[in-house]
Amino acid sequence: MQPFLPDSPKDIVSSLEKQGYITDDELATALFLLIRLGKPCLLEGPPGVGKTEIALALAHLLDTDLIRLQCYEGLDVNAAVYEWNYQKQLLGIKLQESEQLSLSEKEAHIFGPDYLLKRPLLQSITHPKRPVLLIDEIDRADEEFEAYLLELLSAFQISIPELGTIRATHKPFVILTSNRTRELSDALKRRCLYHWIDYPDLVKEMTIVKKRLPDIEIDLLGQVVGFVQKLRKRKLVKMPGVSETIDWAESLLALGFSQLTDEAIDQTLGCILKSIDDINLVKAGNP
Amino acid sequence: MKSDAANITEAIVGFTQFARQNGLNVGIQETQEALHAARIGLLAERIDFQHALRLLFCQSPEERRRFDELYAQFWQLGVTRPIEDKKPVTEPAQVTKKGTGSVVFMGRNRQPGADEEEDGQHVSGANAEERLRKMDFARLTDVEAALLEELARKLFSQMTLRLRRRYKEGRRTGPLHLRRIIRKGLGSGGDMINLFRKSPRPRRQRLIVLLDVSGSMDKYSFFLLRFIVALRENFRQLEAFIFSTTLLRITPAIQHQYLDQLLVTLSQQVDNWSGGTKIGECLQTFNEQFGKRTLNGSPTVVILSDGLDTGPPELLATELEKIRRRSRKVIWLNPLKGSPVYQPLARGMKAALPSVTTFRSAHSLDSLLELEGILAQV
Repeated sequence: MQPFLPDSPKDIVSSLEKQGYITDDELATALFLLIRLGKPCLLEGPPGVGKTEIALALAHLLDTDLIRLQCYEGLDVNAAVYEWNYQKQLLGIKLQESEQLSLSEKEAHIFGPDYLLKRPLLQSITHPKRPVLLIDEIDRADEEFEAYLLELLSAFQISIPELGTIRATHKPFVILTSNRTRELSDALKRRCLYHWIDYPDLVKEMTIVKKRLPDIEIDLLGQVVGFVQKLRKRKLVKMPGVSETIDWAESLLALGFSQLTDEAIDQTLGCILKSIDDINLVKAGNP
Repeated sequence: MKSDAANITEAIVGFTQFARQNGLNVGIQETQEALHAARIGLLAERIDFQHALRLLFCQSPEERRRFDELYAQFWQLGVTRPIEDKKPVTEPAQVTKKGTGSVVFMGRNRQPGADEEEDGQHVSGANAEERLRKMDFARLTDVEAALLEELARKLFSQMTLRLRRRYKEGRRTGPLHLRRIIRKGLGSGGDMINLFRKSPRPRRQRLIVLLDVSGSMDKYSFFLLRFIVALRENFRQLEAFIFSTTLLRITPAIQHQYLDQLLVTLSQQVDNWSGGTKIGECLQTFNEQFGKRTLNGSPTVVILSDGLDTGPPELLATELEKIRRRSRKVIWLNPLKGSPVYQPLARGMKAALPSVTTFRSAHSLDSLLELEGILAQV
C-alpha cells in the first residue's frame, strides 16, 4: 500500500531534507495532515518561495507521480478534465461504415474510453497509484472553474455525459497554489488546509541555497543571501524570491566571483531584479 | 474524575468555540478534524498541534495573525470568553449600522453663494424629464433631487440590461464545436453536414472604480455611488474604492441592500474628510495594497474625481501611470467638465491627463448614461 506513512511532522522535515527540500515545522504539519486526513492543501504566498516545488518534493517522498494542472484565464473543462479525440472519432466512424451496426452501437463505440483524452483532473482520479495532484496558480483561473473544482474536491468524481460518472479509484493528494492575485472563494478555502508560505529568514535561505549549490563558498553565500534579504525590506515593484537568489548565486559562481563586489552586483543585478525601476532604485543607493 | 482523553477533547472543543466566538470561521467539520489531528499523534509536540489547528482554522494571512493571538490567550492565559474590545475580522468592517445621520449629499448642506451662475432651466422646449437629465447635479433642489433619484434608478437599470444583452450577439463566430458536429454527424454516417460553432464566452469584463468623496465632490458623490451600484449588477467583477485623504475599499458594501447604510456612513465621515484631497497618495495606497490583487488581466479603471488635488502632482502622475500600464483603459470622469468653459488647469488634473485614455464629464444623468457606449466596448 503506502510506501511512506509518516508518524510525525518531524519525519517529513527530515525526509524532505534528504531530497534537498528545506521546510519548516508548520509546512511539514500541513503535509502530514494532507497525507493523513486526505484533505487538499492550499498554499499561498509571494512568487518564488517554492510553492510548486513542494508538490514535486512530495511526489518524490511518496514515490508516486505528480500530475500538474497549470491554471490560466479561460481554462475550461476541455483542457482540465477531458476531451474527445475528434480525429480518431472521425476515423472510427469511417471504419464502421461497412459494419452492420445500429446507430446506438456506433455511438457507444466512438464515445467509449478508447476515444477519451484524459486531461489532468480525470487522470488524477483514474491513476493506478495515488498521485499528487498539483493545481498551480488557481487564482489565475476563472471563478466558474473554481466552482467546478469544488465538486471534484469534495466528491472525487467526474461526470461525463456520454460515459456516465467516473469515480476516483484513489483519492489524489491535492496541492493548490495561489499567488493571491485575487481572493479565492470561501467555499474552496473551507475545503482546504490553508498555509501561507513567506520568504525564508536568513539562516533558512542560506541552507536552501547551500543545498542547491554545494560548491558555494560560505563568504559569498552569506553576502548574496544577506543582500537579497535586505532588498526584500525595500519597496520594490517585484520582490526577488528564493529561486532568484539561487539563480543569482549560480550566476556569480559561473562568472567566477568569490566575493560580492560592486562590480559583481552591477553585472548580475538582472538575475534578481526584473524591473528597470527596481534596478535604478538599487543602483542609486546600494542597501 | 474524568480521564485525560476526555479532558483534552473538551479543551479542544472549548477552543474551537472560543475561536468561533472571536470571529474565525470554524464549524463542526473543523472541530472534528482538529480532534482527528489530535488522535493521529500531533499532540505529542505542542507546537505541531498549534500548527495543525492553524492550518485547519485559518483561511487568510489576517486570520492567521488573529489565530495566534487567540491561541495564546486560550491556552496560555486561560481566557475562555470572547474578547470584548476587539471586533471579529469581517470584511466590511467600516460600514456600521448605528445611527441615522442625515445625508449631506446632494447639496443639502450647500454653502450659500457657492454657485451664482444660472442653472439649466433655459433648455427650451424640453419636458421636465429631459431637463432633469441634463441638469448639473450640483444645482438641483431637494424636490428635483428626489425626482432625479427615481429617474436615475430607472435609467441605470435599463442601461445595465442593454449592456448585458450585448454579450449575446455573435453566435455565428467563434471556433468550430467539434464535439457537437461529430455527434450530430453520426446520423448521416459521420459526414459533417451541419457545422456548429462555439459561441464566444462572454468576455469577463473587470472594472475598478475609484470614487472621490472629498468635500468638493460632495454634491456629486450620491449619484455617482448609485451609478457604481448599477454597474456592479452588470460587471460581475467590480472593485470599488472611495478616497479623499485616505482610501477605503467598499466592494463588499455596494449592494442595493447596503446602499443606504453606506450613504449614512459616508455622510458621517464627510466632515473629517473635507480637509483636502490627496489623490496621488490614495492612488499610491491603492497600488501598494490592492494593485497586485486587482490590476491583473487588464481591467478597465474608472476614476470619478474633480482632480482638485492638494498633494504633489508628480506623485499623482507616477501612480496613475503605474495603473495605466496594467489596465486596458483609464477613464476619468470629471463633473467639472460639464461646464462649457472648463479647462483642466487644476494641477492634479493636468498631471493626470497624460495617463488618461478617456476624459469625460459626469455632471448630469445624461453624461453618465453616455458612458454606456464606452463601457460596452470594454
